[in-house]
Amino acid sequence: MTTVLQYTLSGLAIGGVYALVALGFHIMWSTAKAVNFAHGDTLMIGAVLAVLGVDAGMPVWLACSLSILAGAVFGVALERIAVRPFTAEANSIGWMLATIAIGIMAESLATMQFGGFSRALPSPGVDRPISVFGAGVYPQELLIPAVAVLLTLGLGLAQKRTLVGRAMRAVAHDKRAAALMGINVNRIVALSFGIAAVLGAGAGVLVAPVIQASATMGVLIGLKGFAVAIIGGITSAPGVLVAGLAFGVLEKFVEGYISTAAREIVAFGVMIAVLLAFPQGLFGKRETVKV
Amino acid sequence: MGAEIAIEEINAKGGVLGEPLKLIQYDDTGAPPRGVDNTRRIAFADKCVAILGGYHSTVSVAQAEPVNAIGIPFVGVLAANTKAIENGRSPNYMFRVSAKDKWVARFLVEKAMAQSKTGKVAFFYENTGWGNGALPDVQAAMKAAGKELVATETFNWNDQDMTPQAIRARDAGADVVLFWALDREGNQILRSMDKVGYKPTIIGAWGIAGNLGELAGPLANGVQVVQTYTFMGEMDPKKKALWDKISAKYGLKNPQDIKMSSGVGNAYDAVYIIAQAIEKAGAYDWAKVREALYQVKLEGLVANYDPAFDASDPERQDAILPKYYKLTAWQDGKLLPIEQTPYGKTN
Repeated sequence: MTTVLQYTLSGLAIGGVYALVALGFHIMWSTAKAVNFAHGDTLMIGAVLAVLGVDAGMPVWLACSLSILAGAVFGVALERIAVRPFTAEANSIGWMLATIAIGIMAESLATMQFGGFSRALPSPGVDRPISVFGAGVYPQELLIPAVAVLLTLGLGLAQKRTLVGRAMRAVAHDKRAAALMGINVNRIVALSFGIAAVLGAGAGVLVAPVIQASATMGVLIGLKGFAVAIIGGITSAPGVLVAGLAFGVLEKFVEGYISTAAREIVAFGVMIAVLLAFPQGLFGKRETVKV
Repeated sequence: MGAEIAIEEINAKGGVLGEPLKLIQYDDTGAPPRGVDNTRRIAFADKCVAILGGYHSTVSVAQAEPVNAIGIPFVGVLAANTKAIENGRSPNYMFRVSAKDKWVARFLVEKAMAQSKTGKVAFFYENTGWGNGALPDVQAAMKAAGKELVATETFNWNDQDMTPQAIRARDAGADVVLFWALDREGNQILRSMDKVGYKPTIIGAWGIAGNLGELAGPLANGVQVVQTYTFMGEMDPKKKALWDKISAKYGLKNPQDIKMSSGVGNAYDAVYIIAQAIEKAGAYDWAKVREALYQVKLEGLVANYDPAFDASDPERQDAILPKYYKLTAWQDGKLLPIEQTPYGKTN
């Protein structure tokens, strides 16, 4: 029983990371109908810059805030140079290549500056594990899924209640109509990439104490975050959250009861099976395209 | 670092056969195809007399083929995979002045047996050429000791959580765990063990000799690592002299800043061994230098090479014998010789 609880808690911690990354994909997709495939590297930038900030003698809170800000700048700039020029044309895939390319560039640059070693980001959340009915877990690990849940709720409210949120939904629905209504479409899209990047870099800062900051940390997390977004239905924030947490827990159980080596095989196999059964993802709405 | 300083010292005394030695460096980036390409370039374009091998075992294994096809002496100074050097070829141009997994496995199992109260040992290894290559070596060493591993657990690079593996090892009752891991994953295993309240004695191959102390903090205290050379702790005059040169040349303030001290010591010795072989061969000639490597006798930093290699024994393409392996232990972020830590007493 303790073992099952242990796997569930550990899985929720990892799943929370996937969910945070997937929420970023959700935000970008639901306004721009394009995503930033370098989103995993946004997470890496957040974590790596926070460690470098602490190295430079900054207090942890300042280093984290600045690195999240830098992540936001990265997201907005990337939208401007790697996404916007390509999305004007319908069905363009230029943005996919461009964002993947920028992700690889960011990773190479980070390797040059940061070196090949992983580094720790100090946090009181990982000093000692707490015991939950016999299962051990770091407070920081519980914080991650909690933040993911709060952000999902907040995001839902913002989209329904605030002017900007409504504008984002309008842009997602029909760019041209939104522009005719006086919405500055480019600014809204840039804003959504910025918000997504804040989530990504914030996730990086949150997970760095648990998994360590390194130049290569973003790739697999980014890919799994995207997989989770697709499984959950990229148009639904709660769907993405649930899928993220479930994916993390599933991975732990596969590791625990089958083997670690089987993890990626089973997890990605499940992803394909879900997509075959639910082409829109588990919670996604069918997107009708009017011609 | 070690190779550069050894070459400077040799050149300051007039070089070898009246010619100065020169070091040309290529980065294999951990990619075997790149390593193979570099091997050909070093042999044919740069016309070097010998190759010093690098960090990654997978690269060295891939290089064994072109090295023997071309016939250029290769002296590995880090990568410890058994089969890279013991590749069954004759004549074999692959040599090593470093640890060998087969011997490291025996060494670690011996230490594990000495420290285990129950005789139950678990093995955690990374799912790479290095880790998978070590599994049969460790199993064989356990068998030789009349035991079997009670748990063998694997993990991938960048895995964030190893609680399932830690739980299985704990429930199997292992009181000593052997690590074939790098710092990043080693830290995750330690943290996962901490979470499930499992505190075995840990002895590892040298992948966790980098910055584990910084990553894991107090959890790393008492973790033991095998090395061939360390600058930490008290230095004898020879070591002190080398450290002074390194600190002046590379601007390092503390011996801790040397990330892989075994590699430095090994490379330093390897250059001296090659230099002596060239001298004995009397020519910068690949085949003659290979022959001469078997006659090198040298009082080195890491070991007393007497002789460095033995042509009659395929196992002795490796210069550093297990009796020169050293056990070190993490203590408050520093990796010290185990005699100089509180953990030395248990041995």
